[in-house]
Amino acid sequence: MIVFEDVIKVYDPDVVGLQDFTCHIGKGEFVFLVGPSGSGKSTLIKLVLKELVPNSGRILVAGRNLGTLRKSRVPLLRRNIGCVFQDFKLLPNKTVHDNVAYALEVVGEPRRSIRRKVPEILSLVGLAEKTDSYPHEISGGEQQRVSVARAFVNHPPLLLADEPTGNIDPETAVGIMQLLVRINRTGTTVLIATHDRDMVNRMRRRVLQLEAGRLVRDERRGSYDQVTEEVGDAF
Amino acid sequence: MRFSFFLSEAFGSMRRNWVMAMAAVITVFISTAILGAVLVTRDNLNQGATSLKNRVMIEVFIKDSATPKQTQALERKIQGMNDVKSYKYISKEEALRRFRERFGERIVANLPINPLPASYEVQVKDADQVDRVAQQFFNDPTVDNDPGTHNGVKYAKETVRKMLGTISLIEKGMWVTTGIFAAAAVLLISTTVRLSIFARRREVEIMRLVGATNWFIRWPFVLEGFITGLVGAVLAAAFVWVGNWGIANWIQTSQIDFLSLRIFRMWWQGGTWPLGLMPTLAILGAFLGAVGSLVALRRYLKT
Repeated sequence: MIVFEDVIKVYDPDVVGLQDFTCHIGKGEFVFLVGPSGSGKSTLIKLVLKELVPNSGRILVAGRNLGTLRKSRVPLLRRNIGCVFQDFKLLPNKTVHDNVAYALEVVGEPRRSIRRKVPEILSLVGLAEKTDSYPHEISGGEQQRVSVARAFVNHPPLLLADEPTGNIDPETAVGIMQLLVRINRTGTTVLIATHDRDMVNRMRRRVLQLEAGRLVRDERRGSYDQVTEEVGDAF
Repeated sequence: MRFSFFLSEAFGSMRRNWVMAMAAVITVFISTAILGAVLVTRDNLNQGATSLKNRVMIEVFIKDSATPKQTQALERKIQGMNDVKSYKYISKEEALRRFRERFGERIVANLPINPLPASYEVQVKDADQVDRVAQQFFNDPTVDNDPGTHNGVKYAKETVRKMLGTISLIEKGMWVTTGIFAAAAVLLISTTVRLSIFARRREVEIMRLVGATNWFIRWPFVLEGFITGLVGAVLAAAFVWVGNWGIANWIQTSQIDFLSLRIFRMWWQGGTWPLGLMPTLAILGAFLGAVGSLVALRRYLKT
């Protein structure tokens, strides 16, 4: 689903975003991306969305080479990628319903199918009652669920999440994670950049660890820290 | 592309950001109203100038000793001039009658003979030509010149020159003013639009993330600018129209009779409402709004 080959991204005054990054993420995988702030997690996500362009290297998303993707096709790429962010990125002037519907309007979905799909997805994320609320009227966890609903309403093959639980309390975060797992079960590839140590350790999924723009660990059924097992031995 | 969706997006956002929308409407209103006022004033002054120019007249006095034949020859000469719009023969009796009307019966009653000469009142087509026309009578033997002078031909030579100079100065000044206010209008409107889009740059960012094409994002903004500009400009056109009519009406009926006001009355006849002005202002406003939105959006839609 996502292929990075020798990707280098350097920001203007010699600030390294990604360095010699190579990795393959298969269709239907559920992957955690971990590492301290500034290690390149957000850079990676922006590269997949073609919000940024690498200095060198090749990036393929769903078989398409982003390097040769024309500017006018970028919106089409993004329609196939659902996005969830730490700050939710909801349109403040639109109701919960209209926020989700907007993603469908953009694709040119017929009004009839919008009327069917939006309530469907909203009840899936457990927000059927908040349809007509505005983002500022609901809690952070609820806002994040709206944003997950918006990301998934098109049933994209790929879903990216940048610190999706960063701004919400741990209990609510579990709910969001479960939602992402359910989405993954429908066949959608899910890539989550996170700081949430407990979550990663509990879920035991594939973990990619970044440090200063380099991939330092790629572990199936990994934990947040590489050292956990060694610590166990020490005792 | 669904037009109704864009339209409802545009109206929705205007309702939500009504303060900003109103600021934009007011900006368009003020700038186009000033522009319209300048244009209307220019038009009124132009018409006033034209009517003043039309009143420029040459009086050609005829010697008492001229025979009817000579008088007829003079009339044919006037008829033959290309620059003459119209002319009128004033007989000695008519001249006396006018004199009596103006200065009273008493002076006239004491006159043993009628000293006033007959004359032709000649109107020229173009005030600029008055000198050239007048010169053609200077050496005519039928004209009542004192020896060595041209005092048998009377016209307001200096007045005409001053008037023409003033008119052309006013016209130039009006063009400059029009230019300045048009430029100010463009700046004001584009600033307002840029502010309102800056306030919504997060919205634009989200739209792009969801996969909206650039035109999908642009249309509601462009429509919003179009509607805002149209409303402001139509209000401005109406305001200028009422103002024009009101000023003309006030001047025509005013009881105050200053000399200046009387002159002003001639200038501002108000009937001069350039028909094209209303649609021109409306189209200009709508166009400015739409283009302003496009330009302001450009930097948020780079990729």
